Amino acid sequence: MDHFPTNWGRPRNDMFDAYGTHPIHQRPDNRPKDTFADSVQHTQQPIVTGTSVLAIKYKDGIMMAADNLASYGSLARFKDVQRLHSVGKYTVIGAGGDMSDFQYIQHILEEVQIAEGTHQDGHELGPVEIHEYLSQVMYARRSKMDPLWNSLLIGGFKDGKRFLSYVDLLGTTYSASTLATGFGAYIAQPLLRKAVEGYEDVLTTEQAQNILESCMRVLFYRDARSLDKYQIATITAEGVSITGSLKLQTSWDFAEGIRGYGAQTQ
Amino acid sequence: MTSIGTGYDLSASTYSPDGRIFQVEYATKAVENSGTAIGLRVKDGIVLAVERLIHSKLLVPGANRRIQAVDRHIGMATAGLLADGRNVANRAREESSQIRTLWREPPTAVADRLALYAQAYTLYSSVRPFGISTIFGGVDKTGPSLFVVEPSGVCGYHGAAVGKGRQLAKTELEKLKLSELSMREAVIEAARIIYLVHDDNKEKEFELEMSWVGNETGGLHAPVPTDLLAEAEQKAREALETFE
Amino acid sequence: MFRNTYDSDNTVFSPQGRLHQVEYALEAVKQGSAAVGLRSKTHAILLALKRSTGELASYQQKMFRIDDHVGIAIAGLTSDARVLSNFMRQQAMSERMVFNRPMPVNRLVATIADKAQVNTQEYGRRPYGVGFLVVGQDQSGPHLFEFSPSGNSYEYFAMSIGARSQSAKTYLEKHYKSFEDCTLEELIKHGLHALRETLQQDKELNVNNTSVGIIGPTGRHEKPVSPPSKFRIIEGEPVAVYLQSMDQKEPADGAPVPPTAADEDVQMSG
Repeated sequence: MDHFPTNWGRPRNDMFDAYGTHPIHQRPDNRPKDTFADSVQHTQQPIVTGTSVLAIKYKDGIMMAADNLASYGSLARFKDVQRLHSVGKYTVIGAGGDMSDFQYIQHILEEVQIAEGTHQDGHELGPVEIHEYLSQVMYARRSKMDPLWNSLLIGGFKDGKRFLSYVDLLGTTYSASTLATGFGAYIAQPLLRKAVEGYEDVLTTEQAQNILESCMRVLFYRDARSLDKYQIATITAEGVSITGSLKLQTSWDFAEGIRGYGAQTQ
Repeated sequence: MTSIGTGYDLSASTYSPDGRIFQVEYATKAVENSGTAIGLRVKDGIVLAVERLIHSKLLVPGANRRIQAVDRHIGMATAGLLADGRNVANRAREESSQIRTLWREPPTAVADRLALYAQAYTLYSSVRPFGISTIFGGVDKTGPSLFVVEPSGVCGYHGAAVGKGRQLAKTELEKLKLSELSMREAVIEAARIIYLVHDDNKEKEFELEMSWVGNETGGLHAPVPTDLLAEAEQKAREALETFE
Repeated sequence: MFRNTYDSDNTVFSPQGRLHQVEYALEAVKQGSAAVGLRSKTHAILLALKRSTGELASYQQKMFRIDDHVGIAIAGLTSDARVLSNFMRQQAMSERMVFNRPMPVNRLVATIADKAQVNTQEYGRRPYGVGFLVVGQDQSGPHLFEFSPSGNSYEYFAMSIGARSQSAKTYLEKHYKSFEDCTLEELIKHGLHALRETLQQDKELNVNNTSVGIIGPTGRHEKPVSPPSKFRIIEGEPVAVYLQSMDQKEPADGAPVPPTAADEDVQMSG
């Protein structure tokens, strides 16, 4: 019962409004509103973002690189973010896109790992299983029109086999011997292909490192959302190792000769 | 037994006139028929050990474990109906996962939640209580902790014993200075106690199953390594000879 | 009308801490005809005795494929078995979909064991009246499990369930140590010998009443299968070659086999 007489409205008076042109007073609905009454809003854009991740196959396994930057729009907001994350003993995932979504992904993978471990039966999740799982999660979320806004590279080595594959916010997956996400997909991918394709089984650790380093350098020069601090993950028969932060050596001398930007006119 | 035939013992939702819930007491009887399980809380960790009775020689040795993992850093051993033990373990994993999702850190106080779960099964006539006693052992930011969850409630301990041989096991545990033992020493003692309480004449053969959590394992719940297990069993057999 | 005050439903413990309803469910398993399972380093196999309700009836199916890497043999209520085996199939398919891998066999068995446990604890349900032998192969090799209505599951080198399974168990206990290195043909022979022990006196194993389920590389008498090692059920004429390989039964040592009642065909039991 609505106890406020002002809400009751005026009884309809046919003398006054014979044709019903005046709208009948609607009582305000003061019941608590359903949380989703005004429709549901889903993620429409990433907020704090990471840029490219690069990964290649080489002789001993997989090598992956990503810088330490998380941007807030065009602001270089966080410069100490790890975008390479190991999952168990055989797998590394690298993430571009929304960093909070990536943290959520890390959490669900941790849960899955624990569930796997509690069986105590010696079965373990390798890169193949983790990639399949992630692709199911990503596709399920995009089908709810509420994607996890990332593009992910999954690299690993288990049972003598190396594995490298991609999955993104749409649930798209593909595999290749060189993969790159974000801006790197345009800038670094052609360089990686040239350096790696056909040499997957001969490239040494050092060579692979050099390839990734030079690509990260190119990206730092050309990608305004990148950083000269980066990490490299290697996944081999020996397991996973992720380096500490590495610093790119860069030279900006050429910038002096550039004309056409800024204040100088000539 | 005075309870039989009175009609007050047919449901967990019925008290007897003197205030007892016989169904809960009968449930503990199910526990008493099973192999012994013990837990030791020592200086820097937890050791769990169970006497796994071998009901057939066709069983694969080492399979069919009775100590279960709840989370990376929590293990549990049950005595009583094995299937009930699996049910509780699954619930424990869910609880642990929930706490982890909420607080984003290795869960504490999982045993408290399990006690609530077990207690709920003593309230209604539509379910029966769990026919198990459970020893929870884990190491978290509060240090090592050991709890026993029974149909009747939860308790924290330095040393715990459930199952058929619990009386003798408790007596033996009381003789130890648990808070001064290292994990390795605790493994040896636990093996000795399980061998001691096993009644060779009355019972079937058994396998000793042990796990531990603590400094030795980097804070993770893991089976005791086979070489240490073998050493502990060897010493247990020797101790048994001198004991007799 | 009840045999016992404490056996009317699942939710009552007897004063000794026993669950009579669950124990009776275990009896239902013994009403079904026998199944035998055994494993070697390379293979896990099932053998089962099929029954027919009469001349005009076909033989009741005793084995089911769950997935390429898992198969089961049942004893007890066939309808319950179909419910549980469907559930196992769903679990196995879901594991393939979510993780792109064959489900580890022990976990598959644990899922139905956990399902069965609930039916021993809640009012208004009954425990399942069927036991399984589950064979499967995963990363850790071939396995054999037993599932029972009490919600327990165990891994064995060899096991038998169903009517007069104790006789088969006795045979298996005598020989199980040699199974490890057996070829597939030898393993099947042992299995048939064990299964034979469960027969009534005037009955014999033949191509109509014997099923053989195999996991592992194909044997000498088999055609190649795809994917290799997948679970296959051998029935009818192809069983003949294995039946012929059997040795004569050792003469029973004097004592006549005690007649076992309650082995007549029970409705719903397979």
